[in-house]
Amino acid sequence: MSAYIRKNYLLLIVLAVLAGLFAAAAKGMESKDFVITLLRGLSVGSLTFLVASGFSLIFGLLDVLNLAHGTLFMIGAYIGWTVYIRPDTFVDLLTPLALIVSGFLLGDLWTVLLSSPQGATRSLLGGRMKRILPWAGILVSALILFLVLSRYPIAYWSLDNYSESPVAIAYNAGQGQDVLEPPAVFERISPWLAFSGLAIGSLLFAFSLSLFGQVKISVPRITWRSFLGFAVALLAGLLLFVFNDTLTGFLAGLNRNWLFLIAVLVAVSSGVALGALMESTLIRPLYIRPTYQLMLTLGLGAIGLEMVRAIWGRPEFTMPRPELFATASGDGCPATSFADWWQYHCSTMIVLDGRIRIYNEILIPIIGVIVLIGVWVLLQRSRLGMIIRAGVQDREMVEALGINVRRVFTQVFALGVGLAALGGVLAAPSIGLSNVMGDSVLLNALFALAIGGLTSYPGAALGSLLVGLLQQFIIKYGQIGIPIPFTEIVFKPTPPIVPASTILLMVIILLILPNGLLGRKE
Amino acid sequence: MEYIIDVQDIHTFIGQYHILEGVNVRVPEGSITALLGRNGAGKTTTLKSILGLTPPSQGKVVFNGREIQGMRSFDIATLGIGYVPEHRAIFRDLTVEENLKIAERKKGDYARKQEFIFTLFPNLKQLINLSGKNLSGGQQQMLAIARALVADNRLLLIDEPSEGLAPVLIEVLMEAIRQLSTESTIILVEQNFLVASKLAEHYVIIEEGRSVKQGKMKDLVDDKETIHRYLGAA
Repeated sequence: MSAYIRKNYLLLIVLAVLAGLFAAAAKGMESKDFVITLLRGLSVGSLTFLVASGFSLIFGLLDVLNLAHGTLFMIGAYIGWTVYIRPDTFVDLLTPLALIVSGFLLGDLWTVLLSSPQGATRSLLGGRMKRILPWAGILVSALILFLVLSRYPIAYWSLDNYSESPVAIAYNAGQGQDVLEPPAVFERISPWLAFSGLAIGSLLFAFSLSLFGQVKISVPRITWRSFLGFAVALLAGLLLFVFNDTLTGFLAGLNRNWLFLIAVLVAVSSGVALGALMESTLIRPLYIRPTYQLMLTLGLGAIGLEMVRAIWGRPEFTMPRPELFATASGDGCPATSFADWWQYHCSTMIVLDGRIRIYNEILIPIIGVIVLIGVWVLLQRSRLGMIIRAGVQDREMVEALGINVRRVFTQVFALGVGLAALGGVLAAPSIGLSNVMGDSVLLNALFALAIGGLTSYPGAALGSLLVGLLQQFIIKYGQIGIPIPFTEIVFKPTPPIVPASTILLMVIILLILPNGLLGRKE
Repeated sequence: MEYIIDVQDIHTFIGQYHILEGVNVRVPEGSITALLGRNGAGKTTTLKSILGLTPPSQGKVVFNGREIQGMRSFDIATLGIGYVPEHRAIFRDLTVEENLKIAERKKGDYARKQEFIFTLFPNLKQLINLSGKNLSGGQQQMLAIARALVADNRLLLIDEPSEGLAPVLIEVLMEAIRQLSTESTIILVEQNFLVASKLAEHYVIIEEGRSVKQGKMKDLVDDKETIHRYLGAA
């Protein structure tokens, strides 16, 4: 025990000072202000943590600083919004998506085609053809996919016409009005041509990509199982097409609470899929060139941002809260207890004479804590977590034990992006959707990680909590002012001090503890 | 004679440096072979090249009748090669038990091998919940060897096991390695010639990235000239 104190006395002093500051800040305001500020701090801290934890997991294991993480947070929000507000668009997208994925589920077949000595592809792969063929295949398949997709009917909002833009749709949805447009119909292309085009394009694309791979030493055997994934994807695509209207109607008629849950699930799984795709195609070839990787993630962030602007437009818009948190006033609201809230679905609740927003200041922190514990259990109790913790220290040794570290890399990247997307979709009803929503969160997350320790998971949690609390307390003191002792001056921090204070905290902590609060010495 | 591993004229580059310029190592099944040579001669790189951690750009590595050069490291390891690296490379944030469990290739490997491992290294059993960073050098070395025993490995690559250990501990380790050689074939990199000569039946001398001499250890022990020339010690 005393050895621990001697070893970590600086950390303990810093924590004691922080606790003292916190107590002083608490004493300086009324209890209702304190509760609200504390809960807001927890809320901001939770959102920061969702981004910071994914960022730190990815950096710890893969050594990749994923600067696109803020953009991915934003994309999570926009995807969630689309499912929530425009389920028709979401359902329309499912069929083409399933068809495009289908070809990639034939991986075994491609391996066999590539490896078999008498295989037709082997002879094609001599000399110059080996270089041209994959690219030609990708080009042709991309062309097919583009031609089909540009004619494929998808119910979609309009960016030029204000009354059909996301801003207006979101506003109407918030007022409880129906926002679905008449379903899109096949006009410019016949359904069967579209389906076969997408499937053929996907097959060609997947095959061309497989040509880049090396000839594998272990060749899988082709059985009916090898075709199972492909068949399921095709069938799913067709079924989704046939039951498109039914599904859309079902989702649109669904209670907003359930729809929100579905939106969260879709946003998170999209994040996971996007992360896996990013790592396996773009990040992976660049592990030997870390600087390029850094620039790649920066560029991907910019591309993602522009795509969001092209699809959803630049103006900000809102995402109505789920029904459980929807009633603003009247009829028993604001609630005075959780029972009231449950009965009347109030958006706010009175705690110690102060009004707190239930979604922002109670639900988000609760989810933050659940994720904190969930990921902690994953890291400490599962085999994947064991491999991650070992890999953070020594990847080569993990590989020498016979573990496919690259696959774990993909899983961790997917997990990190999934957490960011979760943060985004949770934040949307609270802070609204905008093109810049990811920037401040990413910055906060970076500060939090610097404060808490870059690759430390508990550090990410502690840092995020500190950043959230500090910012909210300064904002609150900006309203009520800090009386300076022995003078009559009341100091009111202005808004620009909020980010500055975070940086100041980071600088001070890094000066005392160069690796952050819980970071390990490099 | 049947060779479990046959390294044929491999060349390995690390970055732009040509580290191995033709190494041949043949290891008969069920024996200990020592790789000898000065610091920086390429002994560790030879082990890493077998495992594909530094893949050879030329030459063949035949393990158990199968060419494995160019395969991915984890695939090679899965074929049955265990690795005990230089400086042990224990996972510091994992407990002793986790350090062993992570080496499982099939579920239940650890449960099956537990008894064998703890008879070999009784000390480890009491340390089971300690985290890797709290172990002493000797304990870490035992754990590193134990970790390579969890999965079914026909070949063990052991790099500098005696490095930085007290003489008493070296004795214990030597005894353990000798016992292991009844179960699997071992390639041992060892600076300490005394240790190597007591353990190994065969030797390969590597000098500036080339294997220059190999044969039976008992012949080398009397060959003072070779020892002096390549190993710089008597």
